[in-house]
Amino acid sequence: MFNKLIKSNEFLVFLIIITLSIVIGMINPAFFSVATIYDILRASNVYNLMAFGLLLVVILGGVDISFVAITAVASYGTHMAMLKLDYQGGIWLYFLIGTAIGLICGFLNGFLITRFKLPIFDLTLATQTMLYGFSLFFLGATANFDLPERMVGYYGKYLAITEDPFIGTTGLHISVLYVLAAGIFVWWLLKYTIIGRGIYAIGGNREVAKRSGFNINRITMIVFVIMGVLAAISGVTQSGFQRNFSPTLFIGQNLNVLASVILGGASITGGRGTVIGTFLGVILTQLINRALILTGIPVEWQQFVIGVLLIIFIAIPAIREERARKVGHTTELSEEQA
Amino acid sequence: MAEKLLRVEHITKHFAGVTALDDVSFSVDQGESMCLVGENGSGKSTMIKIISGVYTADSGDIFINGNHYKKLTPMESMHAGVQVIYQDFSLFPNLTVAENISISELLSTGKKMVNWKEVKELAQEGLDKIRVSIPLDAIAGTLSTADRQLIAITKAILADARLIIMDEPTTALTRREVEALFKIINDLNNQGVATIFVSHKLNEVRQISQRTVILRNGKKVLDQDAKDLDIKTIEYQMTGREINTSSIKYSKSDTKSAPLLKVENLHLLHGFFDLSFELYKNEVLGITGLLGSGRTELALSLFGQLPADSGKIYLEGKKIRIRNIFDATSRGFGYVPEDRIREGLFLPQSITDNIAVSIIDTLTTVSIFLDKKAKKQLSDNWIEKLNVKTPSGKLPAKSLSGGNQQRLVLAKWLAQNPKILILNGPTVGVDVGSKSEIHELVLTLARQGMGILMISDDIPELMQTCNRILLMRRGKIVNEFIREKTTEEELAKELVATDSNNH
Repeated sequence: MFNKLIKSNEFLVFLIIITLSIVIGMINPAFFSVATIYDILRASNVYNLMAFGLLLVVILGGVDISFVAITAVASYGTHMAMLKLDYQGGIWLYFLIGTAIGLICGFLNGFLITRFKLPIFDLTLATQTMLYGFSLFFLGATANFDLPERMVGYYGKYLAITEDPFIGTTGLHISVLYVLAAGIFVWWLLKYTIIGRGIYAIGGNREVAKRSGFNINRITMIVFVIMGVLAAISGVTQSGFQRNFSPTLFIGQNLNVLASVILGGASITGGRGTVIGTFLGVILTQLINRALILTGIPVEWQQFVIGVLLIIFIAIPAIREERARKVGHTTELSEEQA
Repeated sequence: MAEKLLRVEHITKHFAGVTALDDVSFSVDQGESMCLVGENGSGKSTMIKIISGVYTADSGDIFINGNHYKKLTPMESMHAGVQVIYQDFSLFPNLTVAENISISELLSTGKKMVNWKEVKELAQEGLDKIRVSIPLDAIAGTLSTADRQLIAITKAILADARLIIMDEPTTALTRREVEALFKIINDLNNQGVATIFVSHKLNEVRQISQRTVILRNGKKVLDQDAKDLDIKTIEYQMTGREINTSSIKYSKSDTKSAPLLKVENLHLLHGFFDLSFELYKNEVLGITGLLGSGRTELALSLFGQLPADSGKIYLEGKKIRIRNIFDATSRGFGYVPEDRIREGLFLPQSITDNIAVSIIDTLTTVSIFLDKKAKKQLSDNWIEKLNVKTPSGKLPAKSLSGGNQQRLVLAKWLAQNPKILILNGPTVGVDVGSKSEIHELVLTLARQGMGILMISDDIPELMQTCNRILLMRRGKIVNEFIREKTTEEELAKELVATDSNNH
């Protein structure tokens, strides 16, 4: 059991996070503070929401490109409609409507993929372009800063507050609860439902999954609907943070989210991946981001470092496999030596 | 036992004008073990697909438990208790053993949630039924072929199988694993589960089946009790011609001159240790041992794929080093891998390209361009020499049958004119007709002066072709047999004795 834990990808990511934290802390002691934790969590939350959705698609054996566009259409679309209605209430209605839009977009993806047997990557590449195009053309071309009155304070809605000599007043943002809820839901879905096991099964061997009686189309639909809903929640949350609504929200961020999911141990070829790994992957990405600012290393290095880490993480399973192949055959020998 | 478990009557099936099955009838009793034998293309795969409902016969009737099916669907077939274990075992490589075993059963109950305790109990119950133990938490993809096969069998048992059909179940198994499998099949038979065993390994056919049905060109040519059958008859009925194994006798090896290859104290961590032996010109040297004895590692080591950690290798008296595949090929080593399909051929590429690939640099003209004419000549020459059955060298390699693919791999290496040819399981999965042709070819090559290392656990094969046979056990050479001074029985005993000493 302990052995298995140590060998797991999650544990490795966890170790890197701890090591990196210690190193940063040694260079800049200001790093060791509650405020840092709150800050990293706050920045991670929106990425975690997207990553949990993407994790499902990746385990299924695909890569969704379009979820970033869904965040934009869902948040920006809701906002432009609410502006017309002169809505001045809280953010909850935004979540409600945004989620509905995200659900529809996810359903559209799922429907097109299952109905016409389209490759996930290709189709979502198309819907990404289409959705960004839609939000720019039909909804508006520039970011909008007219927030409803009661939404203005959303970015500062904290569950706990801390005073930090370097950062100032900051806190644990309420959106951490969404991440917790989404994380538990996706974990439960993957582990305890037939649908979840079906997602792993399809990613492991699609043909056998079909023969075993999994409803592949239904499972694919469900995955994309969840992806759409989580993307929408992420989009509204982020817009609340930055206090403006943008038609090109998160544009170009899809591969960064994918990178976090892969860092977290999910296999790009499907069948493997966990919620906790994905969470750690996102945290690590944000930590690297933060580390470079705190240690004064130019920000351009962030991309480079994440790239290098990705290479290492992609290489680890391959190296293990290679080793297993090299050692594996002479079983009698190892029995004797053991 | 009034009613037969399965009866197929007058089954005929055509594909695009080719008759795959022609008026075939047979039946299987409860708890009976039947062997369905035939060369590639004899119609046995078609027959299985008809019994499992994948194909519908053009004419004929199927009865399962006395129920008449004119058009059997895959679902009906499964509900009637027919389970087919295909060669890929239909597993999820990323999931645990427990889940792999239980998942179909859970799905069939229509449950929405997974109760992990139930999953494990169900899996354990299944494994107990065939009396094997595999760790339930192991990931299926990391297990050996034998274990994955056992998982597939367990799945079938849990699905209340009355008849289990196994397609070439022993292809990738070691002798010990085959014995274990046969015990399980016997057990199942005693519990009333019938088995149909599709194979072309003749000794196994005799060992496991109570009854043997032989198909040839879509017709049933034999159906009788296995105990009255001898291998000669089976061979004759399968191929329709006499296979004269005794004609392949060859013993002359040039042991007086210096050895072609001499290996001293060769070591490979986790692979083998302290190996020393010699290979002479004109010699076929057999290397046998169970899977995991280090025999494949040795082959890969000489071929530079798993370079040895220490030890000396002499080629024609000169000390050489083999650090990578290029070192090996440039000095005249050729290797025909065990998994020829994956490691040996570019399946979608043409036959010609496959033959030419290993000597591509010698086929260039003055310029850097490929000499197409020379390439075609070379290819046509080998296609003819090795009797590869194809209408044209332009066809992709995957269009060939198993035996012909094996010959193509040989052609690819022979085109290089190797001094030493390493063959790893040269006739695994090859039917009996092609097998004897391959043996003949190996002997011809040896006569022409090549030194051949043949790695195999097929004892009759070793006895027919090798001058000497080295037995490996736990990474060491433990015995050497001279062909004339040993018997198949002795060799078989020694091979299996490896295990009994240790358990």
